Amino acid sequence: MTVADPGAPRAAFAPWDRRELPGMFGVVETARRVGNYKWIEMRLFEALGGWVATVPELDVKLVLGRQCYHHAWHAELWNKRLPELREMKTERLTQPPNDAMVTFVDALRDPEAPELTIEKLVGVYRVLLPRKIAAYTFHMNATSRITDAPTIRSLKFALQDELEDWREGEMLLQTLIQTPDDVARAARRQQELEELIRGAGGITGPGTLGEIDGSTEPSADAAAAAQEGVQEGVKVG
Amino acid sequence: MKKILPVEELARDSRFVRRPIEDAISDPRQARLAERNTGSARLEPDRPAAGDRARQLMHGIFVGELQALEGAGRTTFDFTDEEIPFQLKLDMARQCWDESRHCEISVKLSEHMGSEIGEFAEATFLYEAACAPDALLRLTGVNRALEGLAIDVFNTMKEFGEGSGDPVLSACEDWMLADEVTHVKMGSDWLRRLTEDDPERRELALEFQRTVDKLFSLGGFRGETDENPIQLARRFRELAGFSTEEIDELADVTVEAQEEARAAVAQSDGSSA
Repeated sequence: MTVADPGAPRAAFAPWDRRELPGMFGVVETARRVGNYKWIEMRLFEALGGWVATVPELDVKLVLGRQCYHHAWHAELWNKRLPELREMKTERLTQPPNDAMVTFVDALRDPEAPELTIEKLVGVYRVLLPRKIAAYTFHMNATSRITDAPTIRSLKFALQDELEDWREGEMLLQTLIQTPDDVARAARRQQELEELIRGAGGITGPGTLGEIDGSTEPSADAAAAAQEGVQEGVKVG
Repeated sequence: MKKILPVEELARDSRFVRRPIEDAISDPRQARLAERNTGSARLEPDRPAAGDRARQLMHGIFVGELQALEGAGRTTFDFTDEEIPFQLKLDMARQCWDESRHCEISVKLSEHMGSEIGEFAEATFLYEAACAPDALLRLTGVNRALEGLAIDVFNTMKEFGEGSGDPVLSACEDWMLADEVTHVKMGSDWLRRLTEDDPERRELALEFQRTVDKLFSLGGFRGETDENPIQLARRFRELAGFSTEEIDELADVTVEAQEEARAAVAQSDGSSA
């Protein structure tokens, strides 16, 4: 019988393990992004929780109650990650990327009346969640899978929820949008909010999807990572 | 969206019918019905109209869970990061998910028992307690008083399911009971943490809890005798962080509430004679 020689040297990385060094972000930039993630998750779970009492549609009410916790859990994941990125006062980095993001969130959370369920859901499922999915996917693909593996693990958990929640919310919306007027309302609302979040530059501000040097065009690396992210996002779901 | 959503603005579809809690409490027919002395008032399968009473109670559970969901949701929104701790917000969000599941369970159990949404009126007392401007009062009024009542109700319903040979009912109630014990414990823990250095505030919050407890003993609805449909679940309350003294005090409150209801009926009889 042939027995493998336990003393024979083996590479640290198996042939199929293509993880690489370094990633696009350092510790400081990663902490900044994670702080932005925690901030937006908090504002989102508060909005979903607050809206529960304001929507008359029973199925929507129960879905918002369930998903409120998903985003709270994401906020908790990010809150635990921050001290591991040398930020001991987590509230210091629990911030929006800029004032334009605050304006966007205020607008997103503004609808209250019971007849505005479409406006509420469009903001979450057609504007914010797609932006979050994009930002998380980009981060997952742009950072180092060796040095930043803990962030990637949390991103994967969060993305699984985001994709499932987005799908469920979009299906609810499709059942609520029943007339040409509803279609117009949904489109109008989406346009208003898209303008605002575009002005903010995305979940982590300008460079959310790679334009880190401030240029209007993403760098080749950033563009490649974002493209990979689109493909990866499909697999995660 | 504004902070503190008043109870009048709770959003409902057309099936729901709202009834002020004052109407239920002051309805003299309630006490007279109780005085008919047809034996034990406990919710037991062999009692007259047990099926109807159980269906009505299940509907009450459903709307209670709905309001608990709405109340916990509002607590995540109504307070800023500076006003309440981050972890408390997370707990309230977790409670949202739990109450959302309880609504789903209650809807399915209602159908299982032959009832439907809107068959009975909705009283909005739970949400009203959840609207207090002070988060600490919400924790004592809702998590300790009303979720405590839920422990008693779920345990009674679980025993009703066991007694009537309905394993679906008893199993589902047992799951919900586990969550409620967690919610009450959450309330007890936060009460202790938020008032560690402020005994005066703690006493005010406990006073609010006693008021809610008395109000929702509903003239004998809950207690420890055969006259009370809902029985105090001492063992589960202990698991949830209530001391024996606190449970004894609650038992006294239920007796007081029942005596006050009797006095109100006597007065009503005297004035109508």
